[in-house]
Amino acid sequence: MADPVALASPLVRIRDLKLEAATQRGTAHILRGVSLDIGRGRILGVVGESGSGKSSLASCLLRLLPANMTRLEGSMVFDGTDLVQLDEASMTLWRGRRIAMIFQDPMTALNPLFTVSTHLVDVLKRRYPGISRDDARSRARAALTSVGIADPDLRLAAYPHQLSGGMRQRVMIAMALLVEPDLLVADEPTTALDATVEAQIVDLFESLRQKFAGSIVFISHHLGLVAQLCDDLCVMYGGTVVETGPVAEVLARPQHPYTRALLACEIDSDAQGGRLVSIPGEVQDPVAPHVACVFAPRCQHADTRCRAGVPPLQDSGAQRRVACLRHGEIG
Amino acid sequence: MSAARPPEGAQQRNAQHEATPMPPALMKLEGVSVVFGGKVRALDDVSLSIAQGEIVGLVGESGSGKTTLCRVLVALTPATTGTVTLGGEPVAAQLAKSPLAFRRRVQMLLQDAVASLSPRMTIGRTLREPISIHDLPRAEAEVRLQAILQRLGLPADVQAKFPHQISGGQARRVGVARALVMQPQIIIADEPTAGLDVSVQGELLNLLMELQQEFALTYLLVSHNLNVIRRVTGRTAVMYLGQIVEEAPTRELFAKPAHPYSAALLSTNPAIDPARRARRIVLQGEIPSVVNPPSGCRFHTRCPVAQARCKTDAPALAEVGPSRTVRCHFPFSLELTR
Repeated sequence: MADPVALASPLVRIRDLKLEAATQRGTAHILRGVSLDIGRGRILGVVGESGSGKSSLASCLLRLLPANMTRLEGSMVFDGTDLVQLDEASMTLWRGRRIAMIFQDPMTALNPLFTVSTHLVDVLKRRYPGISRDDARSRARAALTSVGIADPDLRLAAYPHQLSGGMRQRVMIAMALLVEPDLLVADEPTTALDATVEAQIVDLFESLRQKFAGSIVFISHHLGLVAQLCDDLCVMYGGTVVETGPVAEVLARPQHPYTRALLACEIDSDAQGGRLVSIPGEVQDPVAPHVACVFAPRCQHADTRCRAGVPPLQDSGAQRRVACLRHGEIG
Repeated sequence: MSAARPPEGAQQRNAQHEATPMPPALMKLEGVSVVFGGKVRALDDVSLSIAQGEIVGLVGESGSGKTTLCRVLVALTPATTGTVTLGGEPVAAQLAKSPLAFRRRVQMLLQDAVASLSPRMTIGRTLREPISIHDLPRAEAEVRLQAILQRLGLPADVQAKFPHQISGGQARRVGVARALVMQPQIIIADEPTAGLDVSVQGELLNLLMELQQEFALTYLLVSHNLNVIRRVTGRTAVMYLGQIVEEAPTRELFAKPAHPYSAALLSTNPAIDPARRARRIVLQGEIPSVVNPPSGCRFHTRCPVAQARCKTDAPALAEVGPSRTVRCHFPFSLELTR
């Protein structure tokens, strides 16, 4: 099987990851066998609509799973260690050291009772036990400066409610970068921000590419943003990966009917007037068993084979994979 | 190089505005200010005219006054100064005479469609509540309601359900049906596609555009999504810190924004196709507070092309072309580039 990044082995190799949860209506299949590689030093954009499982995938990477989760199967091999098999105590050592997370809403992710300084210093103490107070504080100050916060001393003394939304997200990013993780997971980090502030944060992510050696998983529903920021793309639908590959390649020549439909739904800003495209039907019920292609009920190309079995995610060109039986036939 | 213009005559609605004089305003705001608690100037000297049959877009970031403007239009928030007219008659006078008659003419689609439905009422009861509040002739309203439900593609059994039992898309259509049963002239739609997945937003926008034709409706459409604004509206107003800083035919605004804030806002909308991607103009800082707005031009603290004069003199709305106005001393000084 070819790697998304030629030659180098991926940082994380996810294979057939299944996540199930108990609900009132029965077992919900949140992830239905996800296979994905996260390349070293790459930014991987994960896109999909609500219910596609993209946030659940992030939760799996950190093993921060909801209490009603009943089954986690498959493997997530991170530099030789399978995170699925790790016991809780060992996993705790991974979080905030080798894996860091940036959440969508910085207000609820920061503790309102502590200052910015406390947040940053706590992260450093955990990452580098025995670090001196002065050293921690000067590193915290430097981290704030590096994410574009002017007046770092003033901001270190501030409580989260005293900061604007954009500033809070910068603090979150500073916290994540302080631990120098190998993997940074950002779950819709700009969705809660206003357009001009979002532009600042996207700018910050772009400048991070130079400073940050680790890999980034950037989860978003905004294809344009992912197209601009990421190296690789993973398109998810109904708890499965339907297509992966280099961003520019996938967007220029999408192979899976869902990727194609999603791109058609994007309102092409140069064409005005006329009807807008939408995908008929609804997202598959997570309680439904996984016996066929998840997109088949909404796919205009689906035939009996698509409804008879689950299509494997197979190689389809350089560094590309697609989970569609008919991708070669439809053009 | 400025952004490429879309093909000529691509949008009839726009072409008509440019060719013929503006039809008389259906709804008009003149010099409207809204001041809360004596010091929070949520709207400051806002004038906006919405013609019969038009779709006007309203864009701006949080705190720019979009929602306050919507609330003024539906008369939920009174204007502190200035006048609002509907069909040439002041809204204040209409409200004094017959508040229900005014509310039938102006309806609103709320942003959170599910939350706008009472969890204690079945959909059928929710849809009939306005009929009894407005004391409409039952039989006639019922026929109309059934026709609307059918037109919106809402299944018959939806009426017996409660809001938590229907999908988000259905909840939005129930909101549309509830507004249409009043036979309004103008619909104020506050972020109608917010939170909708891209695969279904097209369906809702198509529906809103078809209804506009079928029911001779006029819309004010508030949206964060610049692609939606560009595709659906004929004219767009850009708000910043309680003021309209630019108003222009949508096509012209997107091709060549006059206000530096408009240019920055439009540049933040990343296109999927790298060839069509504008260079991102990143503004410093965040929107200042309306409690203590900057002196002179309200945008000067973040404006990349501000000059000395901008700090002291507040620019007035000035014409920069046919039916284009901008509140800037140096219009067109910040360009969208590839």
